[in-house]
Amino acid sequence: MLLFLQALLSGTLTGGVYALAGIGMSLVFGVMNISNFAHGDLMMLGMYLAYFAFTLLHIDPYVSLVMIMPTAFLFGFLMEKVFINRVIHHPHQNQILLTIGLGLIMSNTALLAFTSDPKILTTSYSSSAFNLPGGIFLSVPLVISFLITCGITAILSLFLLKTSTGMALRATSQNREAAQLMGINVAKMSAIAFGIGTALAATAGALIAPTYYIHPLAGHSFLLKAFTICVLGGLGSVAGAGVGGLIIGVVEAMSSTYISSDWKDVVVFVLFLAVLLLRPQGLFGKKGEQS
Amino acid sequence: MKKKLVSLVAVALLAFPLLASAAPVKIGFINSITGKEAQIGENLTNGAAMAIEDLKAKGIQVDLVKEDDGGDPKNALAAYEKLVTRDGVIGVVGPYTSGCANVVASRADQYKVPLLVPAAAKEEITMKGYKNVFRLNAPANVYSSVLMKAVAPYKPKTIAYVYAATDFGVSTVKTAQENAAKMGLTEVANEKYQQGQPDYRSSLAKVKAANPDLVFLVSYDADAILLMRQAKEIGLSPKAFLGAGAGYTTAQFAQQTEISNLVISATQWTDDVNWPGAANFALRYKAKYGKEPSYHAACAYEAMRIMVLTASTTKSAVKLQAGLKAGVWNGIMGPVKFADYGGFTNQNNHPMLVQQISNGKYETVYPAQFSKKKLIYPFKR
Repeated sequence: MLLFLQALLSGTLTGGVYALAGIGMSLVFGVMNISNFAHGDLMMLGMYLAYFAFTLLHIDPYVSLVMIMPTAFLFGFLMEKVFINRVIHHPHQNQILLTIGLGLIMSNTALLAFTSDPKILTTSYSSSAFNLPGGIFLSVPLVISFLITCGITAILSLFLLKTSTGMALRATSQNREAAQLMGINVAKMSAIAFGIGTALAATAGALIAPTYYIHPLAGHSFLLKAFTICVLGGLGSVAGAGVGGLIIGVVEAMSSTYISSDWKDVVVFVLFLAVLLLRPQGLFGKKGEQS
Repeated sequence: MKKKLVSLVAVALLAFPLLASAAPVKIGFINSITGKEAQIGENLTNGAAMAIEDLKAKGIQVDLVKEDDGGDPKNALAAYEKLVTRDGVIGVVGPYTSGCANVVASRADQYKVPLLVPAAAKEEITMKGYKNVFRLNAPANVYSSVLMKAVAPYKPKTIAYVYAATDFGVSTVKTAQENAAKMGLTEVANEKYQQGQPDYRSSLAKVKAANPDLVFLVSYDADAILLMRQAKEIGLSPKAFLGAGAGYTTAQFAQQTEISNLVISATQWTDDVNWPGAANFALRYKAKYGKEPSYHAACAYEAMRIMVLTASTTKSAVKLQAGLKAGVWNGIMGPVKFADYGGFTNQNNHPMLVQQISNGKYETVYPAQFSKKKLIYPFKR
C-alpha cells in the first residue's frame, strides 16, 4: 500500500511536468496543424536558461520563470514569423523536416556552445523531500513544479476561455478558414500559438531542470513523451494533453513499482496502442476533427 | 610550363614513398567523442593526447588517426575496419564502452591488427581467446569483488542491485551476484533501469521497502547524481552504497557533497595511489584541462603510451602483437602485463582500488597497501 501511494504521488508529480510539455505541443498542433519536432529542443533551451539564470545571476530556477516565459514567447513568436509560417500551407513532410531541422540547429549549437558535459543545477532543496505520515516522501522541487504547472494550466485555460484572443485562438483551432472569414487574423493567431507553445516548452524545461540534468540532447527523450501525451489525449486538445501527461507519469511509476523500471516504456506504449485502437481520436479528441 | 608541371609531379611521386617510409608509426584511436558517453569520452581523449605529447617530448613520433563511435557498436566496428583497411594503422587503442569494444574485439583476429582496450569492463572481451585483443583495465567482475572484499569485514547480510540496462551494468551485476552468493549475501531487490529517465523514485522506494544492508549501483554520468538525489529524497539509507565505477567516480559526482558523502566506489585508478607518476599525472592533467582526471583518463594515457612504445620498436602489426604479449611496463596504472589466467587471454591483472568520498574528495580506502585512509562503515546521512 505504501509503495502504491508513493508511486501514485511521485507519478502524478512527474506527470505534471510531462503534461506541461504536452500542452504546449498540443496547442501548436490545434491552432496551426503542425507537429513541432523542435519541441524537445525548446525544452532544452528552457533548461539552459534556468541553469544560467541560477549560476550567473543567482536567481532561483522557479523565480527565473518570470524571465524565461516572456523570452521564450518572443523567441517562438519570431521563429513562427521567420520560418514556420512559410510552410503552414505546405504538405506535412515539409513542416516536419523544417521543425526537425530547427531542432537539430538548436541542439547542435547548444553542443558547441555548452559542450556535452551534463550540467547539474543544485539548489538548497534539490534533494530534500516532504515527509508525509506513513513514510511517504515527496520531492520538494517536484511539488513546487507541480503547483506551478497547475497554476499555469489554470491561467492558460482562463485565457483560452475568457479573453478575445483566447477565443480567436480556439476559433482558429476549430476551423481556420471560417475563422479567417469571421475577420480573425489567423496569421497572428499562429504566431501567438507558437509563442505560447514555446513558452510552455521552455517552462517545462526550466521546471524539470532542478530535478534532472541539463544536456544539449536532453530534450529528445521528452519530445517522444510530449508526442505520446498529445496523441493519447487527442491532438489539439489542451485538457487531453493535461490528462495524458498525468496518465503517463502514473503509468510509468506504477510499472516501475509492480513490473520493472526496465519495462516501463513497454507498458506506456502498449497502453498507448490500446487507447488508439479503442479511441483513434485520443481520449479527448473529437471524431474527424483533424481532417 | 607543362614540362615543369610533369617534372614536379614526378618529383612529388618519387619523394612521397620516401616520406612514407620515414613516417612515424601509425596508430588508430576509437573513442566516444559524441553521443551519450561523450563526457567520459572526453577524459579518454585528453589522457591519450597527454600520452602522445609525453612521447613526442621523448622523441617518439606517432601518427594518430582518431575515430568517433558515438557510443554505437556499429560505428565502432566501421571505424576499426576503416582504420585497418584504409588508414593502414598497425595497432588500435579503444573503444571506450563495453558494447563497442566487445564488437570490435570479435574482428581483431580477422584483420590481425592488435586492439588495446583501455577502459571497457565487460569480461567477455578478453574471454574468447582472441590473440589480438589486449585489455589494460580490470574486467567487470573485479569491480564487484573488490567492493565486496572491502565491506566483508563488517558482515553485511543483504544486498540490493540498482543498475543501468547497459552491457556494463548487466555484466557487472551478474558477477556481483556470483560474488555476493560466495559471501552468503541474500539478494532482496533487483532494479534494472533505462538511462536518462527523470524519475527513479518508484524503483528506489521498492529497494527501500526491502531494507538492504548494501545497495550496489551501476550508473553512468549524471544518472548517478539523479539516483542518489532521489535516494536521499525518499530516505533510502542502507549500511553502504557501493557504486561500481563510471558515474560514481567522477569529480562532478563527488562535488555534490550533500548526496555523495561516504559513497564507496571501485575504481581503476586514483591520484593518491602510490604507482609511479600517478600523482604527477593528476597535477599535470589538472593544469592542462582545468579539471580532475577520471580513471578513464589514466587508462587511456597508459594504454596509448604502451601501444606507441611497443609499436615504435616493432613497426608491424604481427610483431606488435608479439611485443604486447611479451612486454612488461610500470607506470601510472601500476605494473602492467598482458597474461592468460582464469579464462582470460591477454588480460592485465590490474589491482582495483576502493575509494570513499569524504567531503567532496575521493580517498583510497582499500586495499590497505595502496591506501592511507580507513573505510567508514556504516553509511550515515
